[in-house]
Amino acid sequence: MRAEVKEYNYDWMMGSITEAAAKLPAGSQKEADLSFRYIPYFRYALGALLETGPPGVQFLKMLSHYYKNITTAHDQGKKIVATTFCSTPLIFYAMGLVPLTFEVLTAVGAMVWKRGMFDYMDYGCEVGMPETSCSAQRGSLGAYLAGLGETIDFIVCDSPGVCDTNATAFAFAAEYLDKPFFQLNYPSTIGDERSQAYHVEDFKAMIGFLEKQTGKKFSYDRLESYLKEMEAQDAITADLEDMLLLVPTPIPPIYTLMIYAGRFCFAGHPEYTRMLEKLRNEAQKRMKAGVPGLKAGVERLRVLMCYIDHYTVDMNFYNYLEERGIANTGSILTRNFRDNNPYCQSLEGSCYGVDTSSPEAMLETVAQMNARLPMVRSIRGPYDQHGMWLDECLALARLYNADCIIYNGTSGCRNTWGMVKPFARDIEKQGIPVHIMYDDAFDDRVESWEASKERLDEFFTVRGLL
Amino acid sequence: MQVFKDVAARIQPQPLLDWKAQGKPVVGYTCSYLPAEIFHAVGILPLRLRGIETDGMDIGDVYFGPFICSFPKCLLQLVGKGMYKFIDGAIITPGCDSMRRLDECWRKAGEDYEGVLPGFYYYFDVPHKSEDHGMDWFIEEIEYLIAEVEGYFGVEVTDEKLRASIAEYNKGRRMLEAVESMRADINPVVSGADVFSATIAGSVMPRNEFTEQMAAWLEALEEKPPLDNVQKRVMLIGSISDDLELIKLIESQSGALVVSENLCFGVRGEGRPVDETGDPIKALADHYLGESICPRMYGKYKQRLALLKQKIEKARVDGVIMQNIRFCDLHGAENALFERDLEALGIPCLRVEREYGPMIDKGRLKLRINAFLERIGRRRARQVAG
Amino acid sequence: MSIVAGCDVGSLTSKAVIMRNNKIIGSFILKSKPRPEDSADAAINGALEAAGLSIGDIACCVGTGYGREKMAFADAAVSEISCHGKGARWLLPSARTVIDIGGQDCKAMKLDPDGHVERFAANDKCASGTGRFLEVMAKVLGLDISELGPLSGKSKSPITLASTCTVWAQADVIKYLNSGESIENIGAGINIAMAKRVAILANSVKPENDVFMTGGVAKNRGVVSTLEKLLGVRIKKARKADPQMAGAIGAAIMAHETISSKESWTKGMEFN
Repeated sequence: MRAEVKEYNYDWMMGSITEAAAKLPAGSQKEADLSFRYIPYFRYALGALLETGPPGVQFLKMLSHYYKNITTAHDQGKKIVATTFCSTPLIFYAMGLVPLTFEVLTAVGAMVWKRGMFDYMDYGCEVGMPETSCSAQRGSLGAYLAGLGETIDFIVCDSPGVCDTNATAFAFAAEYLDKPFFQLNYPSTIGDERSQAYHVEDFKAMIGFLEKQTGKKFSYDRLESYLKEMEAQDAITADLEDMLLLVPTPIPPIYTLMIYAGRFCFAGHPEYTRMLEKLRNEAQKRMKAGVPGLKAGVERLRVLMCYIDHYTVDMNFYNYLEERGIANTGSILTRNFRDNNPYCQSLEGSCYGVDTSSPEAMLETVAQMNARLPMVRSIRGPYDQHGMWLDECLALARLYNADCIIYNGTSGCRNTWGMVKPFARDIEKQGIPVHIMYDDAFDDRVESWEASKERLDEFFTVRGLL
Repeated sequence: MQVFKDVAARIQPQPLLDWKAQGKPVVGYTCSYLPAEIFHAVGILPLRLRGIETDGMDIGDVYFGPFICSFPKCLLQLVGKGMYKFIDGAIITPGCDSMRRLDECWRKAGEDYEGVLPGFYYYFDVPHKSEDHGMDWFIEEIEYLIAEVEGYFGVEVTDEKLRASIAEYNKGRRMLEAVESMRADINPVVSGADVFSATIAGSVMPRNEFTEQMAAWLEALEEKPPLDNVQKRVMLIGSISDDLELIKLIESQSGALVVSENLCFGVRGEGRPVDETGDPIKALADHYLGESICPRMYGKYKQRLALLKQKIEKARVDGVIMQNIRFCDLHGAENALFERDLEALGIPCLRVEREYGPMIDKGRLKLRINAFLERIGRRRARQVAG
Repeated sequence: MSIVAGCDVGSLTSKAVIMRNNKIIGSFILKSKPRPEDSADAAINGALEAAGLSIGDIACCVGTGYGREKMAFADAAVSEISCHGKGARWLLPSARTVIDIGGQDCKAMKLDPDGHVERFAANDKCASGTGRFLEVMAKVLGLDISELGPLSGKSKSPITLASTCTVWAQADVIKYLNSGESIENIGAGINIAMAKRVAILANSVKPENDVFMTGGVAKNRGVVSTLEKLLGVRIKKARKADPQMAGAIGAAIMAHETISSKESWTKGMEFN
């Protein structure tokens, strides 16, 4: 690792960057211009966020608070739980903990720095993580393994049964850092009584673990207030999903990122509600004016990302979509499978409702919710099982009028790389073009963004889409 | 012993062909979590599927993506080539992500190649935890599997039959345990390659025949003089391996002997008997899930390390060779932790990455193994001098 | 005093040295031939000629490298990892960590206070992080491999390369060339990509001072200086002899130790 990277803690650095960025609109134009000169590799990303207006500013504030919570957790007498993006932070907030999600932290660094998270990723390999392990965790985890972050108190992951690479990274971290570890484990089926009962048992065990680690009793009253806040958030998200159905859609490509990044950081937290409200306001204004979300003002194509987006330097992927006039109808990260969403009818039995009437009902709700988080729902079990990845993507592509489906992941994703070829073949049989990106969403060294871009262009041209 | 060597070297060895010639069914399985006794109990041969004898990856690569372990790719390659057309059933287990996707890839290959998808095709959902509800889930999975087997093959899996099968399997397990003690002896009489042949044979040949052969081999071993020139006692651990060439490569180096291993085709789950007294399903679940020491059981690293230390001590291991197949997340990450903790105890470790299948990278592996054995040699020389 | 020899037949080059009294009295290096036995013969004959000796004058010869078992004249074969450690120690007595970048291999070794290899890590399979990587890249840029190193000093904004695979990196370089990126920035990017691969390996053995580099890539300043930054240590240079000869020198020293000491540390090694 370069000596300069070791000078400051990673979480502190990102916290400072996002804090400064969030303050930018409050200053003069001259100050802003000067600041932009100093951030050649973050210029577009920051510009794009600020251009969204109030939601972008709120998003940056939210991110900086997220970091601040981490860097000040121990001063405030709180414990830090390291967890994954496919596990809801809501339950940890209800427990008075500070959740730290490796994947979110990796994505932020990847977008902000020219060399992305390479130093930390490579550090992960130096201490023994395979270089083929998932970059999404290895990036920020590398910083924590190197001791360049606030101390993690314990680890909870919910990827066993869903993603080996993810679960292995957490298990490795627990051993390497010598921290207590808990796993939620997912069977290959969803929606049936047997697997639901399993989820609930798992959650009970997890609460037991959290109580043991914190020495505090779990509060269902607190859980209730978070769930109620989440109800409000889900209602707004459903409105945004409705607007995503429109052709052209008033939702800019970057909104989808803001929606899910916010949920990964602050589900059930009022801060996230504020951002969602602002997103909805802006989108509604455009909808009423009949203006598309794309800056160019013309929607030339609609894509469905069947897995995740691309997060390297300066949000170049979102910039690319804007440049080409491509609307992003979302990825597996965007959808939360609440029963008020437009896609619930197309995917019968896939969604869940919220019930706060009793502690048991709340526990059931949280278990149901977590079972439908990204990866946990879509890619558990066989992809062609009823209602799973294949059915889901076909239904969403049709509902949102997507012209094509694009797979983008990481080279660490054993789970999807094990099935994406037959999956793509099945989708193509239904008349929807599919493009598989052989890159890594967090690491440009696997395939440079320039090469990925060229391959996307080639796909759109050859298939007559653009 | 010759029978074991022949069986271990081929996908379709003679005892298997003889079994088929009698019109008896065979069910293939992919992972050490499957209680083979269930099939043995009703006259079905449980066959651990192997990927040896592949000569390319042209079929495997059509269905699997590039960042996937070569073991399931080799299996699929053989499936596509029709090498497994003789099996009546197949059971896929989520041992790891690469392996569980064999489920879809095999089914899809079945759409393209006629007759390669067996009539009985089943997904056996093994949880990643063995406590409370994890164990309950696994027991239910066994019960569902039994019901499916009964329905498809028109058989009845009774507790009596299961108990008898457990007893038969335990005979082999106890004999393997006896062989393990011989390997651990200061003057071992048996090579690692021979033991590995036997454990592989135990998972692919008719079990009763295996038990008989084991008994004969054990008798022969009692008479055998110790092996010459055993100077470097090696343990082999890591990703799935049923390739004798790797052990042979190590043992072809002067003075080196593989005296212990922790591989899922080797003496890992074998060697410890299943309880023969209580409810047979519960006993099988306790053994196959409860005692599992595979890294897919997250959060149990310390138990696995303790087991390795125990084996190292018992077999007087001088050094541990840790291999992982490229893209094997589970063993790749865990090997690094083992290396850290064992080196700290003064046990030399070598970590290597390889591909499953024909040993294309033999030269590369040999160089590393050579250098490692030289290190062990110096250490021993110093110990002798000191 | 006995005369000893070491012969190192590698994938790209073959080397031999003749030593007397711990000093090199003859050496030879050539591009490896298709058959390792031919390379070995040519190397040893070249070195003998330089020393003005014949094979009968050699008391003991150790062979190393990929062709180590194909040398009819050698008394023993020792892995190149052990030999490189030994050779590096001779070239720089204070060396505790040795990074050797060969044609198709990259190794990091940690030596114990006596100069024996205590830990090592080697790259797996792929050509990235090896001399071949630089060779391929230099060819794409139309440069001699020796011209690649100095480019780092001239670049202001090095490019980021797909560094996990040589083939992909090559495609990237071609793309950057076509888009008009400067040779300096591309060259510097190549050196950085190379250094990063090597740094992961080196750090995995936890380097201790002094760190010493052997193999042809030690001559590339761009890679060495980036590596120094990444490892946070100075990388020492050898003055006694060409660092590319380290394997052969180590082999010769082992030959010497074999005949001069009963309690040789080479005991337990594989001798013919």
